[in-house]
Amino acid sequence: MSRHLLSLLVFLPLAGAAVLWLLPARAARGLTALVMLATLAAASAALVAFDPAGARFQLLERVLWVASLNVHYQVGVDGLSVLFLPATALLFLAGLVACWNLVHDAPRLHYSLLLLLQCATLGIFCALDTVLFFLFWELTLLPVYFLLARWGATAGSARVAARYFLMMLAGGVPLLLAFVLLAASQPAPAFDLPALLAKPLPRSTQYAVFFLCLAGFAVKVPLVPLHTWLPQFALAAPGSLTALLAGLKVGAYGLIRFAIPLAPAAAQDLHWLLAGLGTLTLIYGAVGILAQSNLRVGLAHASICHVGLAVLGLAAFTAQGVQGAVALLLSFSLSTGGAFVLLEFLRQRTGSTDINGLGGAAATMPLLASGFLICGLAGVGMPGTSSFPGEFMLILAALRSHAGAGMAALFGLAIAAAGFLALYRQAFFGRATRREVLEAEDLRPRERVVLVILIALIGAIGLYPGPWLEIVRPAAEAWAAGLRR
Amino acid sequence: MTGGFREILWFAEGGAPLLAILQLLPLGGAAVVFALRERTAAVVAGKAFALAELLLCIVIAGRIAPASAKLQLAERFAPLGYHVAVDGLSIVLLLVAALLTVLMTFYGMSRGMISPGRLFAVLLVAEAGLAGMLVTLNVAWFALFSALELSAVTYLLRRWASSRAETQALARFVQYQSFGLALFVAGCVVLGWGHAAARGGRWSFDLFELAGAAPAGRFQTLAFYLLFYGLAVRTPLFPLHGWLPNMAQHGLIAVAPALMVGVKVGIYGMLRFVLPLTPAAVVYWQPYVIGFAMAGIFFTAALAFLQTNLRRLLAFAVVSHTSLLVIGVFSLHEAGIQGAVLLAANFGLAVTGMWFVVGFVFRRTGTTELGELSGLFERIPFLAIAFLIFGLAIVGMPGTPGFDAAHLILEASIDTFGALSTVAAALGNVAAAGFLLWAFQRAFLSQGKQGSPDVDRTTSMEYLVCGIALLAMLAIGFFTEPWLYLTEAASKSLAARFVR
Repeated sequence: MSRHLLSLLVFLPLAGAAVLWLLPARAARGLTALVMLATLAAASAALVAFDPAGARFQLLERVLWVASLNVHYQVGVDGLSVLFLPATALLFLAGLVACWNLVHDAPRLHYSLLLLLQCATLGIFCALDTVLFFLFWELTLLPVYFLLARWGATAGSARVAARYFLMMLAGGVPLLLAFVLLAASQPAPAFDLPALLAKPLPRSTQYAVFFLCLAGFAVKVPLVPLHTWLPQFALAAPGSLTALLAGLKVGAYGLIRFAIPLAPAAAQDLHWLLAGLGTLTLIYGAVGILAQSNLRVGLAHASICHVGLAVLGLAAFTAQGVQGAVALLLSFSLSTGGAFVLLEFLRQRTGSTDINGLGGAAATMPLLASGFLICGLAGVGMPGTSSFPGEFMLILAALRSHAGAGMAALFGLAIAAAGFLALYRQAFFGRATRREVLEAEDLRPRERVVLVILIALIGAIGLYPGPWLEIVRPAAEAWAAGLRR
Repeated sequence: MTGGFREILWFAEGGAPLLAILQLLPLGGAAVVFALRERTAAVVAGKAFALAELLLCIVIAGRIAPASAKLQLAERFAPLGYHVAVDGLSIVLLLVAALLTVLMTFYGMSRGMISPGRLFAVLLVAEAGLAGMLVTLNVAWFALFSALELSAVTYLLRRWASSRAETQALARFVQYQSFGLALFVAGCVVLGWGHAAARGGRWSFDLFELAGAAPAGRFQTLAFYLLFYGLAVRTPLFPLHGWLPNMAQHGLIAVAPALMVGVKVGIYGMLRFVLPLTPAAVVYWQPYVIGFAMAGIFFTAALAFLQTNLRRLLAFAVVSHTSLLVIGVFSLHEAGIQGAVLLAANFGLAVTGMWFVVGFVFRRTGTTELGELSGLFERIPFLAIAFLIFGLAIVGMPGTPGFDAAHLILEASIDTFGALSTVAAALGNVAAAGFLLWAFQRAFLSQGKQGSPDVDRTTSMEYLVCGIALLAMLAIGFFTEPWLYLTEAASKSLAARFVR
């Protein structure tokens, strides 16, 4: 059982998606909920089975897949990735609740695509073979494209979906090239990540690999100037989908897992590039919030801002930096993911998330308003919330390695917090005038369950971060030590 | 005097002369179906022969030993210059040809074509031509089978055209193809003459003998150009693709283009004949061929964006991705050659699948103009998704056979031409994804227009045709190993002729 735990976890949603087609359409939603609950249970089991003090990569499974290319089906987790599994499972469940009553046509297609996306996302976090990783990486595109183009929130969503798809596909090209280059630089072609990590590359190859990986992952992260898809996406996509894409930062995970450790010398030579891009992204996102009138676009900029901070912290190449980055990325799935889910609740009630269409929403929907405030404050790194430990470590790491950029980051974060609060005030306070807002109903029981779970986790991790950070710490130290060889 | 080729004769391995049966079976089938005229039995017989041919191909694939670089199951009959054999490269394309023919017989039924019996007879003749081209080791026989297949397709275009402008498309097709064939035949003559000059006046068109007596210097360049451009018209390679868009737009949907470009005999001809027979010229002209192929990827992708007709758009998609195959072949690298063959098989399956879907759409709407199609997803979601997945296979999405194949070509391309041109080639794929997605959105996802009639739901025959193609593709995509194994030794021995 525990020998195949990760495979079970990754392919459970896929099996669920297949079973959906055998049952009548009206059973699809319930079955999807069951499958996602089971996935959450499996992800928690993986977390329990993981021993932070043990070997670097655990729960390993390795099967020869394409023998003549030496490609393996190899999955495993370490302290940097294991926490993403329950976070993914939880966020998908929240996303399902967010679109609970929204899917009227072709429900089986919708839910099987959602499950396929879950399978691919879990696969990204588990894959320890570059080809397998790339398979899961590209596999996310198809469901996202369909979910957005077919069930989008606005009339132009098909165009946004195509744009997203093409940008991601273009991002995949340098990534694939980097993996081919890595494989070709070995005596025999190798795609096995632990084996690749064990053998340092020649410096010139490292530069090529690092630039290609950076280009590939930067689109997904997103780093300025490749971020343009995210605000559009947040506006056009159903909230559940935005929550998944903005909440699960697979791009930054890719930097941590592949780009930096596979080309450590090049990454450290180019620390200024990484730190510069991170700072630029952070400031851009923070200033961007100020210019928005739509909560969803504002939140998208907040998430751009914070992922910039994570990249800046990574550029310190210390255990503290990477530990903070992982902690912040994890907190994202709770705070940003939760906030987008709540905005979807709001949009379903009032038909808008634009501050001009809201105003005074807190009067009729106090629970929703306070829940959104908590998620939002967690998103801007309020002490006592789950983002704070990660953010604190990142800022410390940044101040030590790039003092100027660290100061700029502090300044940017203050702007982001102010921008968020200004948006929040205009949307939720004041006198409600619009009929939709006045007649809106507060959260329903199933929505409250989601909110309570998210806020409980945000609070618990914020007030007592020790155990979570301890899971990440040994792997973070091994990661940093690997760079200094 | 075998020019580095080795073979195993069929009786050395026991059993029957399978390759002769492989070529005669569809011809015999065509005769039977033709004799039955328009009786229902003709349709049944047509399907039965197509299926039998597919089974035979599977048997042959099981009989050969892929680990050996030798050509296998060889048959010779000296007086006619008859010489056939298969290796890992040709068997892959033979399987594609047989599978596509089976699917086309199903497809022909579901479209409700006129006089299906006659159609199936022509289809089987074309299949015999394809099979002949893929097994023969004699350039003259290759040209002969090519002529057989082309005349079958010409008849198909004349009799079953779907548009008034068919005569123009037909004329363009005949002009281009006869020109291409003439070039190829002229190339054969140069080769034969070169052999005669070297071997005291004895003419030969046999691959083994020619490879041992390649024409020298300028004549080799001449032979290379004649053969290469003869095949380039057929393939079709930019800028010699002029016949395809017209034929795709006005000819019989799916069947005619699938016969011409579903099985990449042009690419196969380059691998089997051009590379071994004119090695010095190939090496010398390699940069120019690659340059044209690179330009072709982007130029035709740009043209595809300008199309307003779904069928023309697919035609340009074919030309664009064929350029990628040529890059693989002319990398002269074992991974590139292996990738090119696998990618050719993948493209054949995927493009034919897309053409099938277009045909099904045409049966419902009577048009393939992108401006007039809308909202089809609501009515035929399965066909829409099938169209998209075929499109993604062309782009080389992981999980389709295109991924491992494109990956091999990229690896070869990095090795041979460096990273920059490889990135350019790979970005061509993104451009292809762009116009395919754009077409998909306009035809399937856009809001249904007011007053446009409801189209029929997907029929079971349509599920079958697209389902088989999809299943074959995904199965190969996730389980690539046997196919890599099948093509590895043959690619290695071919690449070994070019020492880098």
